[in-house]
Amino acid sequence: MADVAIRFKDVDKWFGKLKVLSDINLAVVAGEVVVVCGPSGSGKSTLIRCVNGLEGIQGGDLIVLGESIVRPGVSMSGLRTRVGMVFQSFNLFPHMTVLQNITLAPVRVRGLGATEAEKTARALLERVRIPDKADHYPANLSGGQQQRVAIARALAMQPKIMLFDEPTSALDPEMINEVLDVMTDLAKDGMTMMVVTHEMGFARRVAHRVVFMDGGRVVEEATPEAFFATARSDRAKEFLSKILSH
Amino acid sequence: MKRMFSVVVAVAVALGLSLASSVGAQQDTLAKIKETGVLTIGTRTGSPPFAYVNKNNEWVGFSIDLVEMLVKPEVQKAVGKSIKIEKKESTPPTRIPLLSSNAVDLIAGTMTDTPQRREAVDFSLTFFYTGAQFLVKKGSPIKGVNDLAGKRVAAQQGATNAKIIREKYPQAQLREFPDQPAAFQALLQGQVDAYTNDGIQLYGLKAKAPKPDEWDVVGDFYSEEPYGMAMRKGDAKFKAAVDAGLKNGFESGKYFEIYEKWFGPKGELPYPMTPQVKAYLLKQIGK
Amino acid sequence: MNYQFKWSVLWSGQSGVWLLQGLITTVEISALAWVLAAALGILSGALRTVPWKPARALATAYVEFFRNVPLLVWMFFWYFGVPPLLPRAVQDWIFNHGAEFWAGMFALGVYHGARMSEVIRSGIQAIPRTQFEASVAMGLTTFQAYRLVIVPIALRLIVPPATSESLNLLKNSSVALTISVAELTFQTRQIETYTAKAIEALTAGTVIYLVLCVGIAAIMARVERRFAIPGLIARGG
Ligand SMILES: Nc1ncnc2c1ncn2[C@@H]1O[C@H](COP(=O)(O)OP(=O)(O)O)[C@@H](O)[C@H]1O
Ligand SMILES: [Mg+2]
Repeated sequence: MADVAIRFKDVDKWFGKLKVLSDINLAVVAGEVVVVCGPSGSGKSTLIRCVNGLEGIQGGDLIVLGESIVRPGVSMSGLRTRVGMVFQSFNLFPHMTVLQNITLAPVRVRGLGATEAEKTARALLERVRIPDKADHYPANLSGGQQQRVAIARALAMQPKIMLFDEPTSALDPEMINEVLDVMTDLAKDGMTMMVVTHEMGFARRVAHRVVFMDGGRVVEEATPEAFFATARSDRAKEFLSKILSH
Repeated sequence: MKRMFSVVVAVAVALGLSLASSVGAQQDTLAKIKETGVLTIGTRTGSPPFAYVNKNNEWVGFSIDLVEMLVKPEVQKAVGKSIKIEKKESTPPTRIPLLSSNAVDLIAGTMTDTPQRREAVDFSLTFFYTGAQFLVKKGSPIKGVNDLAGKRVAAQQGATNAKIIREKYPQAQLREFPDQPAAFQALLQGQVDAYTNDGIQLYGLKAKAPKPDEWDVVGDFYSEEPYGMAMRKGDAKFKAAVDAGLKNGFESGKYFEIYEKWFGPKGELPYPMTPQVKAYLLKQIGK
Repeated sequence: MNYQFKWSVLWSGQSGVWLLQGLITTVEISALAWVLAAALGILSGALRTVPWKPARALATAYVEFFRNVPLLVWMFFWYFGVPPLLPRAVQDWIFNHGAEFWAGMFALGVYHGARMSEVIRSGIQAIPRTQFEASVAMGLTTFQAYRLVIVPIALRLIVPPATSESLNLLKNSSVALTISVAELTFQTRQIETYTAKAIEALTAGTVIYLVLCVGIAAIMARVERRFAIPGLIARGG
C-alpha cells in the first residue's frame, strides 16, 4: 500500500447532541487529490476541519502524516504547520499587506528571516500569478486574487497536505477558473489535497477520487469516471442531477 | 456620591451664571421670602452638633435651631407673615455658588467668617467662636502647630485651616480630604499623623471615635474661626433682619439656652463656653 | 443677581500655578491609569473570547466585579483598604511617598480596565470567527493569533468607543480628590477657598477639562485615520 497521508478510522463527531460524522473510514494517500461533495449540511466541512484539528472528534482515530491527532499532548500548532487550509471566505488579514499576510507564519512559526521569507513569498505570488500585488491590502484585491493569496499564504509553510473548503463558492463566476487553475497546478506538482467543492468539472479533471457524503456518512467513494458514470446511491444521483443541471 | 453630585451642581451653576453674568438686578431676599413664604437655608448633613441628620433621621443642630428660633421670628416680622424654613445640603465648595444662584438664601452651618469670603458674601454676627487645633493619637509627639515638620497632616478641602498650614507651615505634609469622615478615617488608620480642624469639630469626632480615650485634641488655637451665617452681598435689609434675630438672642439669653441644649453637660457635645468666648460674642452687640 | 465677577483671580496670586499643577497631576494620573486600563482591558477583553472556559470565567469575574462598584468605593479601597494589609513600616513609607496618587491611579486604571475590557471584547466579537481559525490553521498558537491578528484588528475597530472611554477616564480622575490627590478639580476648589470666587475657579476647571477632552478626541481621530484598515473603515481624510 502506498504512503497514507490521512486515515480516518471509525471517526464519530458530535456537536453537543447532534451527531455530524458517523463511522467515517477513509484513507488519503500521499499525492492524492480527493474531492468531497454532498448536500449542504452533510458534514463535508466538518470532515476536513478534523484533519487539522479545528474540530475535535469524539470517537475513533484520525492519523495525519503518521501521527494520531487524538493522542493526548499532541501539538496542534505543529500539526497545522504541515497541513495548510484554504477557506471559502479567504480570511486574509485585512490590516496586513499581501506580503505581510504570506510571511507572517513563516517568520513567527518557522523562524525564517524576514528577507528569506519575503523571497519565498514573492516566488509564491509568482506561482499563483499575481506577483504585482505584493504591497496591496486585501481590500484592494478581487475575490479571485484574494483567494490566490490565501493559497500562497498556506503554501508558504511548505505543508504536506492542503485542505480546501469550498474555495470558489464565494467567487463571481468569472474568477472561479483563475483559482481552480492554481489548484490544478498544485495537484500536478503532487500535493496531497482534500477539496470540498461543487465544481464537478474540476473533480472530473483533477481528482483521483470523489467522496460523496450525506447525513454525516461517506455514502460513496469512487474514481471520478465511475462516480459520474454510475453513481449507485439514490442520494448521489439526486445530488448530481441537481448540480449538473446548471 | 452626594459629593460628586454637589460638584456637578456647582459646575452647572457656574456655567449657568457665566452665561447670564450680566443679567439680573439686586435680589431683595425679603421680598422673595414674602412672595414664597419660604426661607431656604443651606446647611450641613454631617457636622454635629451644628447641623446633621440624627439617629431618628431628623435634620437638626445648633445652627438650625438658631435659624428656627432666633432668625425666623425676626424675618417673619420683617415680611409681615409667617414663613417656613426649608433646608438644602451645602458643602464648602458649593455653598457660595448655591447662594449666588439664589438656590438658597442663607448659609447656616459651620462657615468661618473670613475677609476673602466677605468679598463674595455678607456675614451675620458671629454665632460661634472656635479655633483650629489638632486631633492626634494619645502620646503623639505633635503637641501643637510647631511640631509638624515632616508630619502628615489631614485637613478638610476648602477649610481655612488647610490654607494656614499650607502657607505658614510648609514643612508639614498636607493631605486634604473633601469631607470629615474621609479625613478622620485617614487619621484612624495612620495614613496621616494628625487631623486639623476647628477645635469644636475635633471634640465632636473624638466623642464619636470607636475608643475616644485613645485620641487627644491638642494645641492652642492657631487660627480664629468665628462662625457666621452667610448671605448674598449687599442685601442690607435681609442682613439687618438676620442680625436682629441673633442680637435679640444674645440680649434675651435665648441664644445661651440654645447653646446649653447642644453644648451643655447634657448636650450632644459638651463644650463649655469660656468667659473669653462669651465676652467676644457679647462685644458684638456692644456689651 | 448680585454676584461680582472677578476673573483676575485666575491669574493673580498663586492661582495660575495651582491650575497648572492640577493640570499636570490630572494628566499624569490619567495617563498612567490609561496605560493600566488599556493593558488590563486588552488582556481581559481577549481572555473573554478565548476557547478556554476558566480563562473566560476569570476575565468575566474581573469585569463584573470592578465595573459594578462605584469608582469612589475603589478609591477608598485602594487608599484605606489595601495599606493595612502591609507591614506598618511599609505603610509609613508609602504614606510619605504619594500613596494617595498611586491609590488613585490604581483605582482609576483597574476600574476603567474593566470598562475597556467590554469595548475590546465587542471589537473582537465583531471579527468573524474564521479569522481566528485562519490564523491558527497556519500554525500560530492561540496567543500568537491574538497578538498578531485578532487584537490588532480589534483595536482598529474600537477607536471610537475607546476614545469615549478614555475621556470618561480623564473626567473620572477628579474623583481622586476624595483621597487627597491634588488634581485639577481639587485645585479649582482651592482657588475658591482662597478667593471665594467659586464660579471663576470652576469655570477655569471646566474649560481646561474641555480643552483636554477635545485634544484627546482630535488625537484619537488621527490615530483612527492613520491605522484605518483599508476597505474596512471607509473614512475621508
Ligand atoms: N460549530 C458547530 N456547532 C454546531 N453544529 C454545527 C457546527 N458546525 C456545523 N454544525 C452542524 O454540523 C452539520 C454539518 O455541518 P458542515 O460540516 O458545515 O456541513 P457541510 O460543510 O457539508 O455543509 C450541520 O448540521 C451543521 O449545522
Ligand atoms: Mg461547508
